[in-house]
Amino acid sequence: MRDLGSLRRRRLLHFFIVAAFVTGAASTAEAIDPAKDFKQNCSSCHTIGGGRITGPDLKDVTKRKDRAWLKKFIVDPGGVIDSGDAYALKILEEARNVRMPNVAGMSNERAESILNLIEAESKLEKSQFAGIQISNRPFSQADVDHGRRLFTGEARLKNGGTSCISCHAVGGLGALGGGKLGPDLTKVFERYENRRKLGTWLSAPATETMLPTFRDHPMEAEEILPLVAYFKSAAQTYEEDTAPRGLVFLLLGIGGAVGAVLLLNRFWRRRFRGVRRSLVEASALPEEPVAPSQS
Amino acid sequence: MDVRSQISMVFHLDKCIGCHTCSIACKNVWTDRKGTEYMWWNNVETKPGTGYPTKWEDQEEYRGGWEKKDGKLRLKSTGRGRIVPNIFHNPSLPSMDDYYEPWTYKYDELFNAPEGDDQPTARPISKVTGEYMDIEAGPNWDDDLGGSPVYAENDPNLDALTPQEREQMFSIERLVFFYFPRICNHCLNPACVASCPSGALYKRGEDGIVLIDQKVCRAWRSCVAACPYKKTYFNWQTGKSEKCILCFPRLETGQAPACFHSCVGRIRYLGVLLYDAERIEEVANKPPEEMIDAQRDMILDPRDPEVIRGARENGLHDSVIEAAQKSPVYKYVKDWGIALPPHIEFGTLPMLFYVPPLLPVMAKRDGDNVESVSDDLFHGFEQARAPLDYLSSLLGGGNTGKLVYALRKQMAVRMHRRLKTVGDVDAEVVERMLREADTTPEEADAIYDLTALCTFEDRFVIPPAHREEAIEMMKDPQEHRQSAGFGFVSGPERGL
Repeated sequence: MRDLGSLRRRRLLHFFIVAAFVTGAASTAEAIDPAKDFKQNCSSCHTIGGGRITGPDLKDVTKRKDRAWLKKFIVDPGGVIDSGDAYALKILEEARNVRMPNVAGMSNERAESILNLIEAESKLEKSQFAGIQISNRPFSQADVDHGRRLFTGEARLKNGGTSCISCHAVGGLGALGGGKLGPDLTKVFERYENRRKLGTWLSAPATETMLPTFRDHPMEAEEILPLVAYFKSAAQTYEEDTAPRGLVFLLLGIGGAVGAVLLLNRFWRRRFRGVRRSLVEASALPEEPVAPSQS
Repeated sequence: MDVRSQISMVFHLDKCIGCHTCSIACKNVWTDRKGTEYMWWNNVETKPGTGYPTKWEDQEEYRGGWEKKDGKLRLKSTGRGRIVPNIFHNPSLPSMDDYYEPWTYKYDELFNAPEGDDQPTARPISKVTGEYMDIEAGPNWDDDLGGSPVYAENDPNLDALTPQEREQMFSIERLVFFYFPRICNHCLNPACVASCPSGALYKRGEDGIVLIDQKVCRAWRSCVAACPYKKTYFNWQTGKSEKCILCFPRLETGQAPACFHSCVGRIRYLGVLLYDAERIEEVANKPPEEMIDAQRDMILDPRDPEVIRGARENGLHDSVIEAAQKSPVYKYVKDWGIALPPHIEFGTLPMLFYVPPLLPVMAKRDGDNVESVSDDLFHGFEQARAPLDYLSSLLGGGNTGKLVYALRKQMAVRMHRRLKTVGDVDAEVVERMLREADTTPEEADAIYDLTALCTFEDRFVIPPAHREEAIEMMKDPQEHRQSAGFGFVSGPERGL
């Protein structure tokens, strides 16, 4: 009887395993929420009714251009631009030659639902994608200081995002500087021209490295403002550090390693150093010179 | 009293001819795998010599064994405080150079050499790297005093001698050596077991064999550093340590270990000893001069009714007690007192004992004449060529008395036998010698029989392994009783 019981239990277990696989497979096929899609992949360059940032304002874009062209462009912007399409070249010029990147996994269905979203949002008085609302008040010294603390990680980002210093450097950070993975951000404010463009970009960073890092930990408007203030003050105060900092690191590293080895050698001076070789070497002393024979 | 059984060994150095058959038997059975080429679980050393690995007896270098501190025993190599800072780099490990780099020859170059004016040669290649190499050392590089100025003269046991004695020992007329075969001693207080951070080493309850669990070993190599006899080895291929297993699969089927079985000189004896496990710490804590006596006291008389009762209480099978009563090791160690443990001062209480070699002067040179000393063939052992201090440093824990006793008794046996077989010695002298050697004609005959006329059955008294009982310690053999199979469709019926 015990055997029969365990057999039944095993069957039940098999059922659950199969069921888990089926539901798991179904969930991956589920459609992506277009609002989320837009927020993650579009909103760092585009607004709906918030004016141009890097890319054009998409309010009523479906009225400006036909859907078939738009879908094609969303799925493969690089291909359309390279094909010499006149309208594509025109908007490329308007965007000061910043090419729209291809979004990984973009499909006709996704593009369609994004266009539907844009159409629906365009009809609203104020779209949720009107861009981040950063106040226009002048930056205070307190903003700059708070921004610096956010950058260095002294103050945590509210949603748990990684501090900028992990990957970026900025002028005036001190001897060790910041991270080297991302670009130097000393002049980033000048590159983005104004607080709105930089702020919007920060609200949904869209580079390959930053997207996965900040997708689930977006920065808040009240964090972006002091950061932008900090970047502005940095751009005004410092020049980008182009000196090869690596050399200092290298020398420091070599010196430290040699010092550590010497210290350990002193500490472990009584360690076992092998026996046989020293016996052989000790016995192979040079022979005493033979006195010249007197013949 | 906590009576336990231990399979112990005696090696009779007076009989060893240094043929290395034991080493080869062991190598062929156990260590011909990749990563183990350099290991010799059994090796034969020439003494005086530095042995394998070079100078293993020098614990100032290798830091093996136990030391006493504030009346407590602690490992020389690792302690609780030292193990953490040293765990990723054990500072007391011998390198492969201290053993030797194993090699073979590129026979290809010999067989497939093109025709030419020169003799083709097979160059040596390393068995570790596969590259060409220069052979600089081997496991018995100082065999028969080869390379004495390098090796033999650095034998740590020579420290016990005065400079004059040292010089004499290496003078041509007195030149002397003997062989010293070594396997794991399967100690009572094993430093290797105590040192293992993973708990991979253990001493088998039923017969005291010390083993390394290959599934638990985590390659810390503490045992390699801790064993003062350097009888655990690190397999660089599997990343586990290995050691002599006393051929336990053979023992369990009633056969002697391969090295014992193959021994040409029949120098090896194996049998069970009963000992009092409660006294291990006390004995290991004694000063070296007293340790030999203390260890002998700890070994119990298997004919004593009290010991037999204690053994039964501890679950020892009657057949094991019976084997202990017949044990040749008990005779050599306890009854006759002529077998001694090697370097007992290391504190591990080795359970492999050696009968010291007599090494008498057989002839001497006088000017250009070589004279046989036939008139005094069995002269006093004080004139033997190996100085007593040297032998006692190796086998007596620095205690010359034990060594004199063992040598004197052997000498008396020889004289007694000479009287019986040749008859050219004075009976009174022999009688006096026997008395001085604390022995009787009967005992002398028994020693002679077991030394010279021993059969397989005399040398190896192997108790039945009783694996069926040993397994019960780990697992209930009735665990699956009545819980497997389909049962009966209809119950079995008995009778008519």
